[in-house]
Amino acid sequence: MLLKTKQLSKSFGGLKAMNKVDFELPKNEIRGIIGPNGSGKSTFFNLVSGIYDSDPGSYIEFDGHDITFTPPHEIAGYGLSRTFQLLRLYQDMTVLDNVMSGYHTKVPYKFFDAVIGRKKIWDQERAIKEEMMELLSFVGLADYAELNASELSGGQRRLLVLARAIAMKPKLLMLDEPAAGLSPVNVDNLMKIIMQLKEKYGLTLIIIEHILKVVMDTCNSVTVFDHGQKIAEGTPAQVKDDNAVIEAYLGKKMDDEEMRKALAV
Amino acid sequence: MEKFKSIIRDYPFIAFIIAFVILAFVPSVVFTDVYQSHLATLIFVNIVVAAGLNIVKGYCGQVTVGHVGLFAVGSYTAGTLFLYLGLGFWVTLPIAIIVTAFFGVAMGIPSFRLEGPYLALATLGGGEAIRLFIENGNFFRSTFGISDIPTPSLMGFNFDSPDRYYFISMTVMIIAVYFSFSILRSGVGRAFMSIREDPICAAAAGINVKKYKILAFILSAMFAGAAGAVYAHMPPGYIHPNNYTVIEMVTFLSMVVLGGLGHIWGGIIGAIIITIVYDLTRPLYKYQLLIFGLTIVLTILFMPKGLGGFIDRYFLEKRFKKKTGTEKT
Repeated sequence: MLLKTKQLSKSFGGLKAMNKVDFELPKNEIRGIIGPNGSGKSTFFNLVSGIYDSDPGSYIEFDGHDITFTPPHEIAGYGLSRTFQLLRLYQDMTVLDNVMSGYHTKVPYKFFDAVIGRKKIWDQERAIKEEMMELLSFVGLADYAELNASELSGGQRRLLVLARAIAMKPKLLMLDEPAAGLSPVNVDNLMKIIMQLKEKYGLTLIIIEHILKVVMDTCNSVTVFDHGQKIAEGTPAQVKDDNAVIEAYLGKKMDDEEMRKALAV
Repeated sequence: MEKFKSIIRDYPFIAFIIAFVILAFVPSVVFTDVYQSHLATLIFVNIVVAAGLNIVKGYCGQVTVGHVGLFAVGSYTAGTLFLYLGLGFWVTLPIAIIVTAFFGVAMGIPSFRLEGPYLALATLGGGEAIRLFIENGNFFRSTFGISDIPTPSLMGFNFDSPDRYYFISMTVMIIAVYFSFSILRSGVGRAFMSIREDPICAAAAGINVKKYKILAFILSAMFAGAAGAVYAHMPPGYIHPNNYTVIEMVTFLSMVVLGGLGHIWGGIIGAIIITIVYDLTRPLYKYQLLIFGLTIVLTILFMPKGLGGFIDRYFLEKRFKKKTGTEKT
């Protein structure tokens, strides 16, 4: 198992945003996470990536490391990368710097070598730059490398965030609504790029997405959250027909008698 | 030319040695009187402070208004070491840098919890507290200031006049700027920028936010400490608490803002311009603060990234047009 949580809980005051979730993810799988707004999907990401501290009694394990109370930068060092729903681009940095800063955990040299400015530092920096330019041209942003990230369009920003998350060559990539706000053509393009990247880097993916087509087409398995609890898990086809899922998404399933009563009153 | 460029790229310190040689000839070729050497030394001291301030404020995005306090710590470490132990420049300079680094840690700790204007208030308090502590302590000669701090001498040669001290301040400046360039151009500079832009995302990308914030404060404090020691030993060797007020801080800030926050040349361009303008407007001393206040406001309004960013932008647009054949608005 690459990622494993046991009894994962988080409460904000009286609200239980995450309630005793057991989650297991084997390597090389693409897992979709769906659920209504406020069901705890993003909280789950924040807990796993260490942005929030989980409540006592929770347990999170990633790639053999206990990361329950590990700070986020160490978790990233173990090879867990994520994107954010609100992108969190580095607006005032160039596109290339954005991607290169994603490479931070893999930077090979030490601080004091950088202070002295030895030749090998600049060689290594150039190698990193070339590698990142390759990644940028892969997602189709190479021409914009010198521009500020704030000058990109919405669709390009989504691609840049994706490139930045992959720059550290993670074992697990967690995407928080990668396709939100994209047109159907762009969604297809993005999904194509994600699939290619998965092949290229041997990634394991978790994708939160509201566009069900994306989840059904690309994911091997789907987990459904509602009110901070895991209500269903299985292949896309299984989940689609699950009563609990339909109830959470569309409201209670009514038979004809109930419907007649509801309308008559 | 192409070969020369690639040599400079691999060994950037060669460019700094060339700059050193050129600057070494400036006093004998360009300057007409001793006062200009004195002004040049002031410019170099300001460049060192501004380059340090650019690390913590421009790159790491931590709004510190207490930097002048660290400058004072550097000066007074050198001053008191001379006063009580009779130590000279070559000993006081490294000690001043180390002592100021520790004060930098203290100044940086509030940045774990505070940001923006709140951090500015906390550091403002820190800087003023240092100045008042000096001013009210007999140990530091309170408002009399410390006088007759000796100039350094090396192998029998004493750098005792402004045109000789020029070489000391210039050397320190070149070394400091070299360090600031190598730090900011490496991955460390990128980590600082990521923290400025978005600390949460930086943490998720594997950057230890607290460590790098403190590192930025320590580095910039070391720059301020070096500048302070050079300033203290500058002939006539006199330091007074009034040299370290909030007004000086505003001057330092306006240097970095004018030069370009987060631009690698930022503090350096700003320090040169502001120091010269400050000197030329001495007859208008009543209006000097007004001029600097207006400079900051107008720069932020019309050139948010300062002169450095403005020039960069011009060349970037040219390159972009050449590459893609389209206009970027």
